[in-house]
Amino acid sequence: MYVSNRHSKGETRRMNFNGTFELEDTTIEEVWLALSDPVLIADALPGCEYLLHVESDDVDFTELSDRADERDAELTGDPEAIAERAFRQGEWYAGQIQVSVGPVNPTFETVVHIDERDQPRMSASGEGSSGDSSFEMSSGMELHETDDGGVAVEWETDADVFGKVAGMGQRVINPVANRLVKRFFGDVQSTLRELQLAEADTPTPAEDEEGGIVDRLLGRSSSNSS
Amino acid sequence: MTIESVDPDDVTAADILGSAIERREDPALITGDAEYTDDIQLADMAHMSVVRSQYGHARIEDVDTSEAEAMDGVVGVYTHDDLAREDTPGEAPFNLPVGWLLPSLNDVDHPILADGKVRYQGDAIAIVVAEQRYQAADAAGAVDVSYERLDAVTDPDEALSGDARQLHADADDNVAFDWEIGDAEKTAAAFEDASHTASIELTNQLVIPNAMEPRAAVADYHPGTDELEVFMTSQNPHLHRLLMSGVIGHPEHKLRVKAPEVGGGFGSKIHHYADETLVAWCSKLLDRPVKWTATRSETYQTDALGRGHETEAEIAMDDDGDVIGLRVDTRANLGAYLSTFAPAVPTYLYGTLLSGQYDIPAIHGHVTGAFTNVPPVDAYRGAGRPEASFVVERLMNRAAHEMGMDPAEFRRRNFVPDEAFPYETQVAVVYDSGEYEKPMDEALDLLDYEDFRDRQKEAREEGRYLGVGFSCYIEACGLAPSELAGQLGAQAGLWESSLVRFHPSGTVTAFCGTSGHGQGHATTYAQIVANELGVDYDDVEIVEGDTDEIPHGMGTYGSRSAAVGGSSLVKSARKVVDKAREIAAHSLEADPDDVEFENGEFRIVGAPDRSIGIQSVAEQAYLAHDMPDDMEPGLEATSFYDPDNFVFPFGTHAAIVEVDPETGEIEFEKYVAVDDVGNQINPKIVEGQIHGGVAQGVGQALYEGAEYDDNGTLLTGSMQDYAVPKAEHVPEMDTASTVTPSPHNPLGVKGVGEAGTIAAPQAIVNAVTDALEPFGVDHIEMPMTPERVWRAVDASATADGGHDPEDGTADGGDR
Repeated sequence: MYVSNRHSKGETRRMNFNGTFELEDTTIEEVWLALSDPVLIADALPGCEYLLHVESDDVDFTELSDRADERDAELTGDPEAIAERAFRQGEWYAGQIQVSVGPVNPTFETVVHIDERDQPRMSASGEGSSGDSSFEMSSGMELHETDDGGVAVEWETDADVFGKVAGMGQRVINPVANRLVKRFFGDVQSTLRELQLAEADTPTPAEDEEGGIVDRLLGRSSSNSS
Repeated sequence: MTIESVDPDDVTAADILGSAIERREDPALITGDAEYTDDIQLADMAHMSVVRSQYGHARIEDVDTSEAEAMDGVVGVYTHDDLAREDTPGEAPFNLPVGWLLPSLNDVDHPILADGKVRYQGDAIAIVVAEQRYQAADAAGAVDVSYERLDAVTDPDEALSGDARQLHADADDNVAFDWEIGDAEKTAAAFEDASHTASIELTNQLVIPNAMEPRAAVADYHPGTDELEVFMTSQNPHLHRLLMSGVIGHPEHKLRVKAPEVGGGFGSKIHHYADETLVAWCSKLLDRPVKWTATRSETYQTDALGRGHETEAEIAMDDDGDVIGLRVDTRANLGAYLSTFAPAVPTYLYGTLLSGQYDIPAIHGHVTGAFTNVPPVDAYRGAGRPEASFVVERLMNRAAHEMGMDPAEFRRRNFVPDEAFPYETQVAVVYDSGEYEKPMDEALDLLDYEDFRDRQKEAREEGRYLGVGFSCYIEACGLAPSELAGQLGAQAGLWESSLVRFHPSGTVTAFCGTSGHGQGHATTYAQIVANELGVDYDDVEIVEGDTDEIPHGMGTYGSRSAAVGGSSLVKSARKVVDKAREIAAHSLEADPDDVEFENGEFRIVGAPDRSIGIQSVAEQAYLAHDMPDDMEPGLEATSFYDPDNFVFPFGTHAAIVEVDPETGEIEFEKYVAVDDVGNQINPKIVEGQIHGGVAQGVGQALYEGAEYDDNGTLLTGSMQDYAVPKAEHVPEMDTASTVTPSPHNPLGVKGVGEAGTIAAPQAIVNAVTDALEPFGVDHIEMPMTPERVWRAVDASATADGGHDPEDGTADGGDR
């Protein structure tokens, strides 16, 4: 992972994190499926309590927490179940994420907008705030097949960090970000194995495939913005 | 060449002035016995914590204090609305005043708690008072602020560009002021006549003062008498009393400001900040003592920054290499608001020094002040003068190169000649005295300069890159006289006051309105007073930093304490001697004109066996059994000393460095500091000030720099991210002095507190560019990190098509 913050005059000074994470023994479709599932994402992202669809960026987090307690958040390998709850382009998702940064453990109330979802590319932007810290970010990723039968996730995040967490300094923030990303993809990898998505009927993005679930899953259909 | 300390017991009063005696304050400071503001514990004391903006620029939509108010131990949570309420102390507007005005100054409001808008990360929004410090801090974290974030700007050029978001409604295009000095036309003509010119573009980066002790205040209000006591980290208690009295509407004569021991300031404790005033306000509101101590993070976020210039400068020479013109355009970063003396720093403390040590017949300086979303920028050790000296000395290097002349010889031929003093520059000041070649000669000797150039050549042949850099600096200390300061815009006089008091037993307390915070005044002032009165050094005690004890004062900054405070003590001591002389004459039954005073004894001229000691006179003055007619009892005197002029210390610093072009690392081989600070009261303390000053200059040259992201968020907000030099980073220094007494004050002193910081950065940058001359590197911005050095080498190598300097035949290209 490469993190740059040095700048000279005139250059932008947003924090930029980017990298490529390789998942072994899988296909683009599988990884796309996994990364489309808010439940899987919430499960894999360290400190994330839940990630739920919301109507707008104006979120009542007290109400949302109650909803989170009641929901069915089982991880599943069933593409149909995932399709039901998959991220949809143009929609908002909200979650509560706790992060340990040095001596502080802020819980960020976070709202994310899915800007683009078009296999193999997805991008999102969002912001999170805790009492004395906040962040704004935009992220993108793209999936590629690797030569040895795996998938490379090429990702990039631009972030602005504010408040107490920002005051911890780059040397504290960067390793935290690094650790989060590693653990996230590590978790995605093992979840893929556990759920044996690989053995599920892998949807192939062929033209003659029936529409509906698979298309929605793959973010190709216009019917996904109901 | 280190000066050996002397035990004061081995020195007589007659020899005490000028002796390198040990600092008497050190045992208490190094054993932890000294009391700092945060050491003060008062019964029933509450603690204040400040809710600060997490954004560099934002509108405040709402501040919800309900959760914080309900927390354990919380006494109250207050916002700007609470300040203005009728049932709370003081009256609106609760703005911090600026202490220096300029005709073009946009004197924008600077509220002590945000009034709907925050303009830098750390700007105070609300305060929490609680029983315990941790409770206040926790509750501050629970105050819920709703912001509308606005675009921020941190660079002065971007702020002034017309495209940036405006910080203040009444400061169009973020212009704080537009100021010039010198003669634009005459200077333009000089450039037209010039046969050679050189120019430079440079940044003098923002730095954070980093005093070891964070800012702190304890306020204690006594409702019975309406007296308000404030103990605080201050470089100028009387000034803080005046300013605070105005901000919170408390009568000045019922406000006591006392500075306990203060652990360094470097300028950052001159200014009047919101926090200390809010502590005083809380104590009045709650009728109980309240304490606030900045965390180290708050120190980084809110202490006034220093420097922050973007500059283009040009120099013009005739055929012979005489400088005939100099012009400078600077955009100065003033931060979000105008701090106490901020308008003076990049103007009168900067533009007036643009002549350096040189006889320059035409100079023009233009400075635009910019509001940006960083904390307010104000005086930091050197304050304007380091920025001036940096520009002039970098330009002199470029000019020497342009002329094909040796940088030392080029400087020498342009020095103001000895016989020209007092020398009136083209930028509104008159240099008091100087012999500029002396420190230069001494420095060349210490460097073994001729030999160095040979060594440099040999080293280059081996692929090693040595360089030497000179800095012939000048500074102006003891800004004066008050009438002039007033004409320039100061909203304060710049005299100094003192009181010298004999006690009946013959010991002496001397009070001075300066306020030392590490400079050793308890020692040096006692040396001055003991010498004037002819009493034992151990019989003299010094008191500073308390508005209740000291008649009046302007404080310690701008290297003014010895020149102005010390002179005030001389004046008071001499008044005491005059009165004592009359009492002595009365007692000796002689005419006062026939009584001479020497080494503490009054003697009748021509009858040396008839004498009386000044300490016996003191006893008589308090017994008052037999006084001259119409003479009041007691023996003490107060004076207000207003200097005739600034004093102008000068010197030559030089660094020899070796730079590794592969790694960008810089190693000092030698650092030479030859300073002329006039007469020296205590050479050991002078040496210590030079060491500390150079260390801070090394910090700016190589390590330090406040970095903000595009949103105005500080990226270097901790000791881990903001590098101040450690002992291992500071070179061994060869220090030496020349002595050219100032004719303007009775001590002949000039001031030394800032000399090292003013001199060092450009000596080091000049040395590094000299070392990298074979690569065509002609400038590297500070801090010169290994990465920047490496990039500079890499960029030059690429620009000239991969020219390999290691063949030993490099001519240095165009420098």
